[in-house]
Amino acid sequence: MHDHHDRLTILMMGNPNVGKSALFNRLTGANAVVSNYPGTTVDVTKGSLRKDRHSYEIIDVPGAYSLEARDAAEEVAVRILDTHPDAVVMIILDATRVERGLYLALEVIERGAPCIVALNMMDVAQDKQIAVDTAEMQRVLGIPVVATTAISAEGVKHLADMIRKAQVADLSAIRSRLNGQEPDQGAVARCAGCGGGGCR
Amino acid sequence: MEAPCRGAELVTAAVGLAAVACGAANILVWAGPYDGIEIGIMAIGGPDFFRWVWGSLVVVFGGVMMLAGARQMHAVPGYGKVLLGVAMIGIIGGTDIFALICENIPAGEGAQFFNSATGFIGAFAPPYPPAVVLLPFALVIGCALYAGRADDGC
Amino acid sequence: MGLTADERWDLVDAIAQRTVAFGISRQTTGDVLGELTVKPLTGIPTALAVLYAFWSIFGSFAGALVTDGFMIKLFDGYWLPWMQAAWPDPGSVHYFLFVGDPAAETCFEAFGMLTSGLFVSFGVVLPAIFVFYLMMTLLEDSGYLPRLAVLMDTLLHKIGLHGYAIVPAILGLGCNVPAVTATRTLETKKQRFIMMTLLALFIPCGAQLGIMLQVVPDTVGWVLLYLLIGFVVFGYVLSRVIPGSNPEILIDVPPYRWPQRANVAKKLWNKTRGFLTNAVPFVMLGILIVNILYLTGFIGWLADLAAPLFVTWFGVPKETVGPLLAAFLRKDLAVAQLATIPMTSYQMITAVVLISIYFPCVATFAMMVREGPRQLLAAIGVLAAVVLIYGGLIHAVGILLGVA
Ligand SMILES: Nc1nc2c(ncn2[C@@H]2O[C@H](COP(=O)(O)OP(=O)(O)O)[C@@H](O)[C@H]2O)c(=O)[nH]1
Ligand SMILES: [Mg+2]
Repeated sequence: MHDHHDRLTILMMGNPNVGKSALFNRLTGANAVVSNYPGTTVDVTKGSLRKDRHSYEIIDVPGAYSLEARDAAEEVAVRILDTHPDAVVMIILDATRVERGLYLALEVIERGAPCIVALNMMDVAQDKQIAVDTAEMQRVLGIPVVATTAISAEGVKHLADMIRKAQVADLSAIRSRLNGQEPDQGAVARCAGCGGGGCR
Repeated sequence: MEAPCRGAELVTAAVGLAAVACGAANILVWAGPYDGIEIGIMAIGGPDFFRWVWGSLVVVFGGVMMLAGARQMHAVPGYGKVLLGVAMIGIIGGTDIFALICENIPAGEGAQFFNSATGFIGAFAPPYPPAVVLLPFALVIGCALYAGRADDGC
Repeated sequence: MGLTADERWDLVDAIAQRTVAFGISRQTTGDVLGELTVKPLTGIPTALAVLYAFWSIFGSFAGALVTDGFMIKLFDGYWLPWMQAAWPDPGSVHYFLFVGDPAAETCFEAFGMLTSGLFVSFGVVLPAIFVFYLMMTLLEDSGYLPRLAVLMDTLLHKIGLHGYAIVPAILGLGCNVPAVTATRTLETKKQRFIMMTLLALFIPCGAQLGIMLQVVPDTVGWVLLYLLIGFVVFGYVLSRVIPGSNPEILIDVPPYRWPQRANVAKKLWNKTRGFLTNAVPFVMLGILIVNILYLTGFIGWLADLAAPLFVTWFGVPKETVGPLLAAFLRKDLAVAQLATIPMTSYQMITAVVLISIYFPCVATFAMMVREGPRQLLAAIGVLAAVVLIYGGLIHAVGILLGVA
């Protein structure tokens, strides 16, 4: 398990059609197929990213609504998660449909993997007057949250920078933060000020 | 503000009605004993099922959609219907023109590869199928409507 | 640990409430159209319009402009006579393999590797799949595809497939290979099996459609109608016969988006390159193999053997055995080969339908092996039965109509 430590694996997970593959292509310069319908990616695509002397292997995982797999594409997703216990999970959320993505995000968080959240489709959210408070989400979840727009590459550089800061989140801490208490100062809570899409 | 809007509604309804009439005529002529009729600059009907029945059915639906949306074309449901109707007529008219272009870039029979310029332009002489005649009207309505909504016209 | 689903949703709600604020926003034009194009009353006419545009542009560009306008003149007028004159000793084996019939007047008839092979690949199929993939990509990227799926849901329900099952079928019209993989989004084994079988049987690919447009331009509608009827009828039967559950699939309809030019260009290039590197060699190889089989007398022997089945049961000339063999390698090649066999137009319809359904091409076959080797055996069994039954039925319909 430890022989991969020199090269960290990043799993890109999220609901179907939230822009995982588009973001994956931006991060790695690879050629994953991007289409506007759920179920485009049913197989695994791998790519690599070099960022300030760090080298990452990035895997574009088929879209899933939940880790209780219902179809073969979701089974692939769960299997990849199982076979990469050391991997960092990059959870991609669609900023216009945050709720559904959060369900999967919580399932992944529960498994105890280090996570980072990319809040994609920010341009669409803006057009629809949907405001997502990335700083607050980062504070509540206790993991980095970066706003991105995959088609214009906005926020992608910031996302790549933040991969290093991926954190294991704790459900009970999330709960107590939601109830207004401030538990132990997590590492990310300190950098809450630098979150958000504006800072690239 | 009232008057021009009413005008727009009437124009839309008129174009819609014309589309329904022409489309239906195409289908009738296809079904009837004639191989196609010319009325003024319009060519109605022909032997080809795909073009004159399927295509005309789309024109009829487009016209119906414009008629259905015309009365409330400045509110949400009507606006969408008119736009969709315009798009459907536009699709048939547009593909008709595209077909003309494609058929006339190469020369017909003979050793030549490319058509002559005059031959190419000559192919665009009337008569036209109804969807092509309706196309400019539909486009004007569509563009005006889209632009009007963008800057919140009437 | 371990939250229940309800607890998790509660937590999701709490987080979302904290972080997401909805402003007042007007429906965009995309939203308005998005809704209208899935409602049956307005959506079905739209679908008719889209399909019309698809087929019309396909025919105008691939048929009228490129193939009829330029390629036929180029290949039949210049390339073929030149090859026939330049290649040494007609009547030799290599002449037959590479140039084909020395007296042929068209590249369809010649059937040599360098005459028909190049003509079919570059003159007919390449332009066809190019426009086809372009339009498919626009459908994929705009977000219309899942809307079509919602509309077809009602029909598919009757045959025991739900909504999203149509997406692999539509993708199959481009190429069956990725479509087989796309069946992974279906939930149960039963659904996947049915879809994969129907796909292999009744969905012609873009290359095949392109060549059909060239070989049987007037009757291609009949061929497609027969395939559609077969899809519906056998889908219904299979969903009744095959055990297993068939749960509802919820379709997640994305908003309309403008296709990104760079993305469209990239996908188009990748698919076209895939054709050039994977399909063209198969077309060439197919001609070579078929020609060798002719020379060795194998095809003649097989034709005589299969004659009762072909002539009495399917009602097509026994010579169609050759194209059917070629169909395993490339279906477009097989249809092209049919053009060289003299037969009535109804026999032609039957033969083209048979080529479509009788067996998946080798690339699709390989993909099916990968997706489920055990199911594949069952699929082949179904396939054999369907070909026999449906081929006979089409013949019977022809007899009833008085055309066969
Ligand atoms: N407007 C907008 N569209 C996006 C963005 N990211 C992805 N898309 C589009 O969303 C669709 C789905 O993207 P894709 O990468 O295939 O999603 P995946 O299924 O999660 O891999 C495609 O049509 C993309 O062009 C974004 O940030 N903004
Ligand atoms: Mg994807």
